[in-house]
Order: sequence, then structure tokens, then C-alpha cells
Amino acid sequence: MSVSAEPKLKSQIISYREALFQTMRDALSQHSHTIIFGQGVDDHKGTFGSTVGLAEEFGPERVFDTPLMEEGMMGIAIGAALNGLYPIQTHIRSDFGLLAMNQIINLAAKYKYMFGGRFEIPLLVRMVVGRSWGQGAQHSQSLQSLFAHIPGLTVIMPASSQSILECYPYLISQHRGPVISLEHRLMYDLQFGVEAASEVNESPLTSRKVRTGKDITIVATSIMVLEALRAAEHLTRVSDIDCEIIDLNCISHPDENLIVESVAKTGKLLVADTSWRPYGVSAEVCRIVCERAPFNLKAPVVTLGMQPAPCPTAKSLEDIYYPNLQTLTDAIATLVTGKTAHGIGLPDEQSMADVYKRFKGPF
Amino acid sequence: MIFSNLYEELFYKALKIRLVEERIIELYPSDKIQSPVHLSIGQEAVAVGICQSLKPTDLLFGTYRSHAFYLAKGGNLREFFAELYGKVTGCCQGKAGSMHLTAPEVGFMGSSAVVASTIPHAIGAALAAEHLKKEQTIVTVFGDGATEEGVYHECLNFVNLHRLPVIFICENNGLAVHSKLEARQSYKIMEQARTYGMRATQITDGYDFMKVNEVISTIIEEVNKTRAPHFVEIHTYRYREHVGPGEDFNAGYRSNQDLEAWQAKDPLILNPELVAKYSPAIFQEISEAVDFAEASPWPGKEHLLSDVI
Repeated sequence: MSVSAEPKLKSQIISYREALFQTMRDALSQHSHTIIFGQGVDDHKGTFGSTVGLAEEFGPERVFDTPLMEEGMMGIAIGAALNGLYPIQTHIRSDFGLLAMNQIINLAAKYKYMFGGRFEIPLLVRMVVGRSWGQGAQHSQSLQSLFAHIPGLTVIMPASSQSILECYPYLISQHRGPVISLEHRLMYDLQFGVEAASEVNESPLTSRKVRTGKDITIVATSIMVLEALRAAEHLTRVSDIDCEIIDLNCISHPDENLIVESVAKTGKLLVADTSWRPYGVSAEVCRIVCERAPFNLKAPVVTLGMQPAPCPTAKSLEDIYYPNLQTLTDAIATLVTGKTAHGIGLPDEQSMADVYKRFKGPF
Repeated sequence: MIFSNLYEELFYKALKIRLVEERIIELYPSDKIQSPVHLSIGQEAVAVGICQSLKPTDLLFGTYRSHAFYLAKGGNLREFFAELYGKVTGCCQGKAGSMHLTAPEVGFMGSSAVVASTIPHAIGAALAAEHLKKEQTIVTVFGDGATEEGVYHECLNFVNLHRLPVIFICENNGLAVHSKLEARQSYKIMEQARTYGMRATQITDGYDFMKVNEVISTIIEEVNKTRAPHFVEIHTYRYREHVGPGEDFNAGYRSNQDLEAWQAKDPLILNPELVAKYSPAIFQEISEAVDFAEASPWPGKEHLLSDVI
């Protein structure tokens, strides 16, 4: 399926999975010090297609499977980075990354600062967030705020092929610290229009405005950026509500000015995140606005995220666990009109319904 | 300094570590060192014996009890005291303190206060060394307590699976804080390591720097040839409390007789002539280093947020 996303002028259509594969392959072919390892990176499925065939092409020294030792492998990545390699580590579910938290938080995040800048550990950890088809409590967590809370880590959530094609090559060739990228499993099969990377050599590790509007600022992460774009398109068709959408993209280091300036224009803020709301991205975006320019808000902020419970597997519960296109559209219309009985027609379909229905597990 | 033989050189290096730590003990009540110190007194011979056979380009990964390894690997003494004082001239600009000493210019890599957490770093470094064809010996040092951590076993599995040239050094002082081995371990450390298929050696005379050096030198040669890992368990003894400058034999968890048995074999105690011969020069060096630390400035506001990312 094709998700329409601004800007309109596209030079190429490429899936999230293809973008991942392309950046992984380029990393190996263009940088001889890059290695990729993780559970199953060299098997026939190749991390959902993003590393398939690379072990054969570049050799088992550079692309290799690992024992089930998340903490140890994170530490090995740190040591390899210390001694001259650029390691890319994969976790087929971000939930497994929790086993590596000691190395991520106690070591990787602190290694440069704690030693007075004597060391750098450039490395990338790719973690995949699952959703739908009964992923359940331990295959669905979206842990961005947990990581972004820790000084020393850079955390990104690519919401498009464009973000991957811009961020990953930049990280591998120019960024000198540890980065955690949370990829969304349900986006792997989506097609995105992409533009050739701009010539301007600015860091892509920041937020990006993906739709310009005047009535409301929607700050979204990962797949919620796509939901927001769909909601905005619907509202354009059925009302005169004009949404501005910011893809937070770099969770740990968002573009605060972009958010504050947008809210100064629209006066309304809605945050749509893939995770829980308390102490999370929603709370953080609200903190930024409340500290810097609360007087620009013409209405209380609205936040959407997962229900405050572990993720259930039953479809009947999962369907109401996540915000969907209807609840998001309703929340936008309510905030902009100031009325719950806003009278604006909601979309019939459930959130990304065709995508989610089409998705067949087990992964 | 020129030495007439290897024994005197190693003696000097071990003595220097002990005198440095005794100076820390003297300074501690002044509160000028505001950092938890895990003293190496009693364990100096292990560090000295190992590091004598390492080049500055060889990498050693230590623990929070790393004063001895920092100095034995060739770390700068002025930067050492300045770091303990929290001064900007310290080896880590005053951001590390005693537990996170490092001297990358001589291959002493970052030390961590979380038990067993630097073991995988050594393996990753060896992976990189093999990949980039660097001629380095890579050593990881950890205590007996570290062998209880999951990551230790993950690492032994990986290093043998991938056959990487890492020398594992277990400094077995028999204590994890105040807990004895028999309260913690269902296995024998060296035997257990062997079950992963690696070569393993035990040194029970951890006070004997000549013995340690002889065994380690042979192992380094072997590892450089075989490119396979080797495990070494070295028995040693911690004279002081787990953390802090004091003795704690009155606490009841270990006996004074244990201490006396080790001290009865301790070259730094048994050879007062050599102590007398080398102490003055060492005292002079320590004194200059402490003066340097005292006179150095504190890190300023500009350092608070530098080197985070």
C-alpha cells in the first residue's frame, strides 16, 4: 500500500524495508570498518529482509549471527567501537533490548562523559517495535522514552524511508556516539516516496515538519506520523481543519524551536506517540511547550498513546488498546473546534485498518 | 629508573602502588579525595606481573579496583591523584574519580563500577583487532564475584565460539564485598571456565610478581600464536576493607590469621632493604603528584555539559 506523505514531489518510491536494506548494504560496501550482528541477521529471513544476503556478499566476519546474549553483545559492540569498528547491532524486538540495559545505560551512554571525553563509541543499535496480530505484552513495547531519558544516548524513530535514507548513512559516516533506532515492524512493507538527499550537510538527527497547516500542531512519532497524515487528509476532505504535523524523528534531541514556533502559530497541541503517555514523549513535548511558551496555548493539550496497561493479545482488546484513525481524528476535531459534539464526520475505517488486517505474523 | 634485574623492577613497581595507596589512606581523613576508593593493597603483584609483559598498545580492561592496574600499565601518577581530587587535570577531567580511571595512551581502558561489565568490551576490542589486523594483546581483569554474573558466561561462550585471542584474568581474592566464595558459588572458577573449551591456568601465589610475570609471559606468547583465549585464575588477598581506607578484621567476616598468612609471604614486607632503597624516590614522586593535584583547578561550568554525546 502507498501512504501519501508530503512533500509531493517524489523522485522514487521505496519501501521502509528496502530503505533499511539499502543503508545496511551501503554501510558494508562503503565503510570497511562496519560490521552487522544480531540474532538471525544471516538467516534466510535476514531481520525482516533488511540484512538478507549480506553475510553471503560481505562474509561471515562482517555479518554474523549471535548467541542469545543481549548484554554481552552490547558490551562487545562497545569494545569493538573502542578499537576501531562501527558495529550495527539488531534486535528483532525492542523488548529484547531490555536484556542489554546495563551495557546501554551504565556503559554506552556514559562512556564518553565518564572518561572525560577520552573515548568515543560510534555504534548503532536497531530495535524493532512490534504491533498487531497478537504480539502481546513482550513483543510490542515502544521504549523510546526509556532510552531518551538517559543523557549520552541518541534515540531516533524513523517514520519513513526518507528518514532511514538520511539518518543511517549520516550516523555511520559522521556521528561519533551510540544511537538507538526504533524501527516499526508495521512500516516495513509500506512504500514511501523519497527525494534525493539534499546537498546541505545538516544533521538529520532532528525533527521534521511533514505537513504545513494553521489550526493545530500534531507532534507524532513513528507510525503515528502516518496516522496523523491520514487523519489530516480526511479532515481536509470533510472539514476546513488544517493540520500541521511534526515528525519528532529524533526522540532524544527534538527540534524544540520547530515545535514551539508551530504552537505559536496554531495555538493547539496534540501529541500522538506509539507508547504510553505518562513520563513519555507526550509528557516531554508538553514540558517543552509549557516551559518555553505556555501562553501560546489556546486550549489544553491533548495526548494520545497506548492504554496504561501491558499490551493484550486478544484482537478485541488490542483494537481498543492503541489509538486509531477514528480516535485520532475525533481528538483533532474536538481540540480544534473546542466541542466534543463537533459534527465532523469521522473516517469509517479503523486505524491503518487495511495494513493491520493484511499483516500476518508470526513476526 | 634503571634496575639491576627484573625482580627489583617489579618490586619497585609493586612498592610504588602500595605507597601510593598508603598516601591515599593518609589523605582520606582530610576529605580532599571525595571518591569511593577500592584499594589494591595486597593485590599489587597481580597487576605488576601482568602489565610488565604488555606493551602500551596492548589493551587492558579493568574494574573499579584498578589503582594498581592503572599504575602498572603506565598511567600518569599526577593525573591519577588529580582525578582522585576531582581536578580538571585528572585523567578524566575530574569526571571519573577512583572507580573509572583510564589511561588510553598506555592501553588502560575505561574501568567500570558495575561488576563484570567491562569483560565484553575486551572481547569486542579483540574482535576489532582481528578484523583490523592490529597486533594487540587484549586482557580483561575481573574479580571472583564477576564470575557469578550472566554476562561473564555469555562472554566465555562467545570468546570460545569465535576463538578470539583474549586473556581472561580472574583476581580471586575470595570476597565479594563481605561475602565468601562458599556462600556464592556452586562451581570451581577455573574448572567451570574450562567447560567452555578454553585453556586455563591457575596461579595460587598471587603475591609473587615474578611467578605471575613468568606465567603470563608464556601465556601471551601462546595466545599470540594460537589466537585462542586463555583463562587465568590468580589467588590473591585484599588487605583492606572492600571500599574505603580502613581495615575491617574486627567485623568478623574474615580472620586476622588469613591476613597474616598472606603477609608472611608478601615481598613488600619481607624485603625491608629494597623498601628502604626505593622508597625515597617514590615518596618524592608521590609528593609531587599530590602537590600537582592540590594546585590544579577544579573543572568549571564549561565542563558540566561537555562530552555528553
